[in-house]
Amino acid sequence: MSENPHSTPAAARRRKRRHARERRFRMIGAAGIFAALAALLLLLGSILLRGLPAFTQHEVNLELDFANAFGGGSAISADDAEALQSADYGAIVKHSLRRLFPDVQSRRERRQLNALLSRGAAFELRDRVLANPALVQARPVLRLPLSDDADLFLREGGASRARPESERRLSDAQIAWLDALAADGRIERVFAWRFLSRGDSREPELAGLWGAVLGSFWTLLVTLLIAFPSGVAAAIYLEEFAPKNRWTDLIEVNINNLAAVPSIVFGLLGLALFLNFLQLPRSAPLVGGMVLSLMTLPTVIVAARAAIAAVPPAVREAALSVGASLPQMVFHHVLPLALPGILTGTIIGMARALGETAPLLMIGMVAFIADLPSGPTAPSSALPVQIYLWADSPERAFVAKTSAAILVLLSFLMAMNLAAVLLRNRFERRW
Amino acid sequence: MERLNFRGSLLSAAALALALAAPAAAREQIRIVGSSTVFPFSTAAAEQFGRSTKFPTPVVESTGSGGGLKLFCAGVGVNYPDITNSSRRIKRSEVNRCAKNGVQEIIEVRVGYDGIVIANSRKGVRHPLTKEWIFRALAKQVPVKGKLVDNPYRRWSDIAASLPKEKIEVLGPPPTSGTRDAFVELAMEGGAKAIPMLAELRKKDKQRFKAIAHTIREDGAYIEAGENDNLIVQKLEANRKALGIFGFSFLDQNSDRLQGNPVESVLPSFENIASGDYGVSRSLYVYVKKAHIGVVPGIQQFVAEFTSEAAAGEDGYLADKGLIPLPAEERRAVRKAAQKQTPLELQKAEGKEHPQ
Amino acid sequence: MNAAGLLALIALAAAAFWLGRRRALSLAQGTPGAARPHSRPVYHGHYAALCCSLPALAALLMVLAAKPLAAESPRFAAALRAALLIAPLAAGGAGLAFALRRIGVALRARSSVERALRALLAGCSALAILVTLGIVLSLFFEAARFFELVHWSEFLFSLKWSPQTAIRADQVGSSGAFGAVPVFAGTLLITAIAMCVAAPIGLFSAIYLSEYASPRARALAKPLLEILAGIPTVVYGFFAALTVGPGLRALAERIAGSGLPLAPQIFGSVSSESALAAGLVMGVMIIPYVSSLSDDVIAAVPQALREGSLGLGATQSETIRRVVLPAALPGIVGALLLAVSRAIGETMIVVMAAGLSARLTANPFEAVTTVTVQIVTLLVGDQEFDSAKTLAAFALGLALFLITLTLNVAALLVVRRYREQYE
Repeated sequence: MSENPHSTPAAARRRKRRHARERRFRMIGAAGIFAALAALLLLLGSILLRGLPAFTQHEVNLELDFANAFGGGSAISADDAEALQSADYGAIVKHSLRRLFPDVQSRRERRQLNALLSRGAAFELRDRVLANPALVQARPVLRLPLSDDADLFLREGGASRARPESERRLSDAQIAWLDALAADGRIERVFAWRFLSRGDSREPELAGLWGAVLGSFWTLLVTLLIAFPSGVAAAIYLEEFAPKNRWTDLIEVNINNLAAVPSIVFGLLGLALFLNFLQLPRSAPLVGGMVLSLMTLPTVIVAARAAIAAVPPAVREAALSVGASLPQMVFHHVLPLALPGILTGTIIGMARALGETAPLLMIGMVAFIADLPSGPTAPSSALPVQIYLWADSPERAFVAKTSAAILVLLSFLMAMNLAAVLLRNRFERRW
Repeated sequence: MERLNFRGSLLSAAALALALAAPAAAREQIRIVGSSTVFPFSTAAAEQFGRSTKFPTPVVESTGSGGGLKLFCAGVGVNYPDITNSSRRIKRSEVNRCAKNGVQEIIEVRVGYDGIVIANSRKGVRHPLTKEWIFRALAKQVPVKGKLVDNPYRRWSDIAASLPKEKIEVLGPPPTSGTRDAFVELAMEGGAKAIPMLAELRKKDKQRFKAIAHTIREDGAYIEAGENDNLIVQKLEANRKALGIFGFSFLDQNSDRLQGNPVESVLPSFENIASGDYGVSRSLYVYVKKAHIGVVPGIQQFVAEFTSEAAAGEDGYLADKGLIPLPAEERRAVRKAAQKQTPLELQKAEGKEHPQ
Repeated sequence: MNAAGLLALIALAAAAFWLGRRRALSLAQGTPGAARPHSRPVYHGHYAALCCSLPALAALLMVLAAKPLAAESPRFAAALRAALLIAPLAAGGAGLAFALRRIGVALRARSSVERALRALLAGCSALAILVTLGIVLSLFFEAARFFELVHWSEFLFSLKWSPQTAIRADQVGSSGAFGAVPVFAGTLLITAIAMCVAAPIGLFSAIYLSEYASPRARALAKPLLEILAGIPTVVYGFFAALTVGPGLRALAERIAGSGLPLAPQIFGSVSSESALAAGLVMGVMIIPYVSSLSDDVIAAVPQALREGSLGLGATQSETIRRVVLPAALPGIVGALLLAVSRAIGETMIVVMAAGLSARLTANPFEAVTTVTVQIVTLLVGDQEFDSAKTLAAFALGLALFLITLTLNVAALLVVRRYREQYE
């Protein structure tokens, strides 16, 4: 009997080689996952790093001198609503700042000093005075926003100080003033409520996301109102009523295809059909919602069909056997059982619609819209469109704002997906 | 269950109602379209207007001067914009188009100046340019040794020894842009005039001269960089060999990253443009549809805000954004004309472009 | 006006529902022993509501359709305004009267309502066809107008793309070349780069997850991968434009300056909006499309095949490479095709991170443009529906639609055939 072929040195070498290859293969697989996760980490990390600072901003405490703002005693009376409305708050703010630096004289210097404060400071002062007219009697100390350049300088910890004056946004004098204000303890870093509660603005320190959030809300509402009922109805028909023939085959292939049509093509459809043909208004959440609902429809249909198909036949047979008609069987028994699954799919479809940008570009939602939209036909932007707009803005501070807006968008998406998962875990029944 | 179904159909019917109701609704806020160069000023004025008055903030869309005038001239009614911004004067062809669509009376408001700068990254070298060199670098056809040939210049140093030895790579606006129109008219045509052979041609055949002076090369040296001037700024910072053509306000906003190149040895600065020393500058306009005044609320007040001393004046907030104000006298005249809603008559102001 | 009319219509339908139901209830409460109505009262309510609202809606639509005629004369317009209110009310009232008269013991209200319901459901399912039809028609009509201006052979075969023509008579724009080859080439280049990233990473992830990973690791890694698919594309675009693009450029400059042979020639002119940056990020975006579809496909390979191979002494990797993957190949090809289709149609990443210059190049470090970028550039801003410039966007859209459609159908067919193989 010859030697066992599996224990020769050659066989051992072969085995070793094969095992090494096995390990390598396995490592490559793991590396694939790590590469994907690393990309995810890099993406989220870079956005977090850039975006988190934008949730705070620097403000300055100023003692506001209403009495002397107009050069001697011509104070405003707290009772005079007209005067309160139309007073020159810009002058009051500028005056109050200038009092801290008495040696600032030349016009050029004064302008530079004023540029440290946000242009919105005067309006915020007005709003506060109108809400509380008694302020004008006192010499209140109020916190007002700094301009984006000053804010950025402070946020970077004065990193640009080392560069020559011509290569930074703030002049030497402005930096000296900021230092003096900081030394006085007048500058504070506070949570940027404006960012979450205001509409868009050209000034980064005043720009807010709330308008875009509302715009997205109206858009999604329209999407939901159209896509959910018609999607569920289509799914019910295809699963429960439709005869198996060429027509239903065609519909099926169609739905699968629609799910994979590039989103920009839906935008083209919206432009040609809703704007050019039906003459609906530009930049309106209504049109955005209609376009997105066409896009979401296949998602809803596919999810609803899966949920309906998952209801066991026994339920149907039981209903039919006690004399229910086909529609009664579907609407009284199958649909309620399938509803959690349908809702889960719908929420996921809505989340996709929330993040969609390209079709909205086609229908004029890329515009500067400062006011909060009041309804589905008021012009408005939407969260992803706002991100696109800010990403293009020249003011440097918008980079951080953009990242922060992305964080808000991502947290909305996360919340929606979480809701879908919870819904599924809570209500889904395994048969 | 039946109730649920019924409620569902009620909801869908309500949605349908909203959908059908939309076009009939009147418009509350002013709609502004037009030039991306005027966009930063227009949005700033719109924001100020929205905050300081009871009117809603106007909606501003950046579509380019040509696109804006096209939308503006498409008709009268709430579906069409009320105001368009333009970084050049309205053309006769556009006035005719407007008139054809029923837009008869247009109010022209000149809001200020903007220099067109040819800038590059601060890390790059300065190019001391002349208009002639600009023409030679960018025209499709240039005269070489008395003959018109397709532009042979590849490097700046091919044109003049004093220019850097770098590839000609200029990012500039597309034809829809008013900046492009103004640039072609002021810099390219100005440069062409400085070449004796073309100056000769201009006397004989004006059309042909214009075609040569206005046609920009398409062999890759001039790169159309889209409507949005902001992107050019980012690209220039990344590519220090490239030059970019855009409005002064963008240079002003990014003066820590970009530098303007002198044209005919004048640097594009606030003072030089305001005084008219810098040769490549144009007026910025706002056009208002008279038929919409009184229909869409607040148009007149918005124009008043835009032209007010606090906005367009020398210390105004628009100047902070980079708009170069008109001389004080002219500002007064503009304000007055805007108040009186004097409609545009093209012949009148032609040629009064700049106080040279 | 319209909204008020429609709200009135809804109120009318609700009233009809209530009236019909009450009528049926009164029938049911007749003398004991008398014949009971065929259907329950709610169905009579629905029946009445339908009988009332359908004619009213039809009348409303008819009046609205006549609206363009109103421009002819002001008198007609006034009449139309009146008709807008009266016609639906009259039609609805008549329908309601008809329904109330018909409601009785013998009326099969449920059958009628169910028939209407069925028609409604069928209509909703046809909506998907309508949407496709709408896409095809709207693209086709505008594209047809484009091809009247520009010959299709120029569009398909010419190598020059320079669509920014003059929009006024007194202006000199670019010459207006509509050769889409460079645009498609740019799309292909970026897609190829994306697939170079997504195909191996996605495939190996799928293999690892379905064949090697413990259930716990799988439960953790799979949702994490899916997050990549859930991130909006505008976020990827921002990431590509601000982080990856400049990062690649800085890297390339460092390599160019490193003194390696040929390095300056290759890396010296990396554009910050290189095809590479957009492609890489797009690749990351489509990893989950490849991985989750391949995962499904690999999981569907019958266990017996694996066990047979392992039983013969093959290692796990040999089993995967020689048995599982060949068996799953058609499905994997389908997954890759779908990913390609996704990459071709992706818009925001390339709009934000790729360039506008239509250059015919295979160098991933140069800037190229794509179909979707051109569509956005041509349509955002000024539009003129009688110039080739604007219509070109629709021609590109049509091409995009047809290409992705072909890919999707091919992928679906491949996957379907593969599924049948093991069922």
